[in-house]
Formats: sequence, structure tokens, C-alpha cells
Amino acid sequence: MISAGTIEVQALRKVFHQTGTGEAVVAIERLDFVVAQGEIVAIVGQTGCGKSTFLNLVIGLDRPTEGRIAIGGRVPYDEFDHFRGVLAAVFQQDRLLPWRTAIDNVRLPLELLGQEPRDQVERARAWLDRLGLARFERAYPHELSGGMRQRVALARAFVIEPALLLADEAFGHLDEVTAAALRTAFVDLARTAGNTAILVTHQLEEAIEMGGRILVFGRPGKLLADIDLKTWPGGAVASLRAEIQRMLRGNTPEPRLTIRTEKEFRA
Amino acid sequence: MKPTETIASETVEALEARAPFRFPREMVVGLVVLAVAWEIVSMLVPPFVVPGWGRIFKSLGTLRMDFVLVTLARVAGALVISFALGLGLAVAMYASVSVERYGRPIVRLLMAVPVVCWILFAVLWFKWVEFRIAFVLVVVCAPVFLVDVLDAMKGVSKDLRDMLRSFRPTRAQLFTKLVLPATVPAILTSWKINLSLAIRVVTIAELVGAVTGIGYGLVVAQELFSVADVFAWTLILVVILFVAEAVLTRVEERVLRWRA
Ligand SMILES: Nc1ncnc2c1ncn2[C@@H]1O[C@H](COP(=O)(O)OP(=O)(O)OP(=O)(O)O)[C@@H](O)[C@H]1O
Ligand SMILES: [Mg+2]
Repeated sequence: MISAGTIEVQALRKVFHQTGTGEAVVAIERLDFVVAQGEIVAIVGQTGCGKSTFLNLVIGLDRPTEGRIAIGGRVPYDEFDHFRGVLAAVFQQDRLLPWRTAIDNVRLPLELLGQEPRDQVERARAWLDRLGLARFERAYPHELSGGMRQRVALARAFVIEPALLLADEAFGHLDEVTAAALRTAFVDLARTAGNTAILVTHQLEEAIEMGGRILVFGRPGKLLADIDLKTWPGGAVASLRAEIQRMLRGNTPEPRLTIRTEKEFRA
Repeated sequence: MKPTETIASETVEALEARAPFRFPREMVVGLVVLAVAWEIVSMLVPPFVVPGWGRIFKSLGTLRMDFVLVTLARVAGALVISFALGLGLAVAMYASVSVERYGRPIVRLLMAVPVVCWILFAVLWFKWVEFRIAFVLVVVCAPVFLVDVLDAMKGVSKDLRDMLRSFRPTRAQLFTKLVLPATVPAILTSWKINLSLAIRVVTIAELVGAVTGIGYGLVVAQELFSVADVFAWTLILVVILFVAEAVLTRVEERVLRWRA
């Protein structure tokens, strides 16, 4: 039995056809890797390298052109409803419902799961509290700052305690201090809950600060390196940073850094 | 002070800051100038062309005010039916692409037919006067509801839809938690449009054999060559429209207070 939070990506390929010209756009060339249950992974890559496309495939909003993606052995696009309450995502824009107050936004996923209204409120309130928004329960999104809205979005993702947490450049447009605080909150919450988490970013610093596994994506959508920061002593991180930057610029894979291959995982 | 109270009072302040009561000076001045000009003209031309305010107000006292209620009831009834029909069809077209593909051209065709033609059809097809009036109003108003609401439903942001879908809603949940609330502003706007449309159309529709209502009152006034009565009815219609629009605007402010 594969645990609910394990993600298997095999020969994954995604091609879009532009609406106007019908021209094919390769968003993901080929991806192969496995994310284990409870692992916290950062995906870095330049703009347009298919990071959001990949997350949409993980969420099951889109279907792969070729290859397979499975979470806990099930395919998110085909077995869409199986993933009720299993995964939650935080996007670059907060995507709050503007007609709902902060607490009602956080309640939303619990409503969809058909929980008791009293439990909904209690749990939503607890999460807002943990993210420092107790005073702003009844505020509408337009009455909150960008950072506060993103925290509400985080609470909305955490409230269902999903086995799989996804964040797509969720902290990118915030100031550094706020972004760091929220990122830490995200990683800590995921870690304490034992969730699998994937955090997409185009900022290398963000990925390094998380201190876990980093997948470096090249264009279009291919794996340049698969790095485990824990195997890198503190002093070596600076050279690693330079190495990754060179790799991103050159868009060439670096086998020396790819210490976690699919084969190694399977072995 | 409890923290939640801070937010509540901030919200109220924000609301007030957005819509402070301001005496509508320009509007009042404009209307007064118009009224005075009217009075001056009425002194220069015979009263059966332009009656003065004195005559108009005197005739206001003689009009059947129950006709006003009858007309309002017809408008209200027809609007409720139109809305139910428009919303129902919008949901059907939203749910099924083929229903929309077949339905859209038909609706567009209906909307291209002039009101006068609908009135003639109503006279030719139906005997019962109330039904004729309701038919004309519904056939004019329902498509407006349908098109506006459907367009708003289809315009719901893909980002929000994807966000909700990531939580795996049922079709009904997707509709009630996202599509419908996102459509509320468009629904209110279409009510505003249809209200003024219905009030202007109902009087013409009432010309087709009704023996009650403002339209009938206008016919009687015309038969009696009473220009003052015609003006008095017109005044009533305009006031009704203004009041109804003001009420809807208030409703809009309340319901859409979440808007920045
Ligand atoms: N729905 C779509 N239709 C057509 N092409 C698409 C679609 N979505 C993405 N693409 C294309 O796929 C490629 C990858 O896009 P994607 O949004 O996944 O990049 P990204 O890595 O998330 O970039 P960024 O860092 O800027 O968010 C781009 O070339 C884009 O034009
Ligand atoms: Mg992206």
C-alpha cells in the first residue's frame, strides 16, 4: 500500500495547443521523480518552465499529455473526487472569495466536506488564530493587506489538514520579512502534521532557506538536478547556490548534483 | 474594546466614507429650473398644450390611485416570473453547452423583436388581458435577465474556479458556493435595468384592452383630451421609477458591501 502522500511522476509530459494559432507549446518535456510521504520539496526554475503546469497536474485540474502522475497510487485527474480533503493548494494570488469574510473563506473547504457548522467555525477560528489573524475574522478580503490575505489563504489550505500541501509562488510578491515568516509557518505546519509539501518558487533563496530537498526545473519542464540540502554542509551552500544559478542559466542538467534519482528511490 | 469590534466599526466607517450622505444640490437646482421653465411656458401657450403646475396637481387629486397599485402589481409579478425564467434558463445554458448553442440564437431573435410587435402578437394570440400584459412584460424582460446572468456566470474567474475545484466540490457546491454568489452583482444590475424597462413597457402593454392600470388611465385621459391628466400620470410614473431605483441602489449597497 502506497501512503496517501506519496507522489510518483513518470515520463510526465504536457503539451498545450494555443487557442489562436493551434501551435503546440511544450510546457513539460519530461519529468521523472518520486516524492515520499512527509517529504518537503522546493521546486525552483525560471519563469515559464512549467512549474504551475506541473502543480495543476498534481492537483488534477489538467490531464497529462503523456506519462503518469499518481498520488498514493491514484491519478488525480481521473480519480478526481477521491482527493476530497486529501490535498490543498495555496496560489500566487490569494484567490479568496471577495464576498466572504476571512473566517468564512477559511471555512469554505470544511463546508465542501459537509462538516458540522459549529466545527467549521471552531476549526477555522483556530487556524486564523495560529496565523495571527484572530482580530480579523470578520474582515472582508479587501479590508486586509496582501500579507494578511495570503495568511487567510494558508489557513484555508491547512484547515482540512491535507496529506498533501501545495504552494505555487505563494510568498513571492510579499516583502522579504513577511515572506520568510509565512514560509517558515508553512514548512513548520507541514512538518508537524507530517504532510507532504511541494513549494514552487522562482527564488533560489527561498528554496535554500527551506533546507530540504530542491528540484531544479529547466526549460521546458525537465529535471536539471535533484538536491538534498541535508547532505550539504553549511559552508558548501554558497557554492551550491552558484552551481544552481549556473545550471539555470545554461539550462543543462547537472548529474553531479542529482543525488536522488528515481532508481535510487526504487532500490 | 474587543478586537472583533474594532473590525466591525472600521468596516462601518469604511462604508460611510464610501457613501456619505450629501444633499443632492445640483439635482434639486436642475429640477427646480426645469419646473420654473415649465411654468413660464405654460403661461405663454394654451393650457391644453402645456398645463401649469396648478392644473397638473389638481388633476393628480382626481386620478384613480388604485390604478397605480394595479400597475405596480403587474410589474412586480411579471418581473418575478421573468427572473425565475431567466435564471432557470441561464442555469440550464450554463450547465449544458449544447443547450446554450441552441438557445442563444433564439434568445437573440426574441430580443430583436420590437415591443410593439409583441403587443400585437399578445392581442392576436391571447384573450385574457392580464395574460397579454404579463406575456409582453415577460418576453421583454426575461431575456435581459437570462443574457446578463449567463454572461456573469461564464465570466467567473478561472483562478477562483480552480481554487474551489482543488477542494473537490460537487457540481451543486461549485454552483452555490462560487458561481451564484459571483453572479449576484450582475443579478442586481439586471434588476435595475429590467425595472425601468418594465415600468416603461407596462403602460403600453396596458393599452391592449385593460380597464385598470396607469396605461388605461392614460387612454382615458387622451379620450377626454385632458393634457393635465396625461402629465399627472407621467409624473407618477417618473416618481415610481426614481423611488424604485433608489430602493434597489440601497439594496445593492447592503448586499455588495464586500466590494472594495
Ligand atoms: N493553458 C495554457 N494554454 C497554453 N499554454 C500554456 C497554458 N498554461 C501554460 N502554458 C504554457 O506553458 C509554459 C509553462 O507555463 P507555466 O505557467 O507552467 O510556467 P511557470 O514555470 O509556472 O512560470 P512562472 O514562474 O512565470 O509562473 C509557458 O510557455 C506557457 O505559455
Ligand atoms: Mg507559475
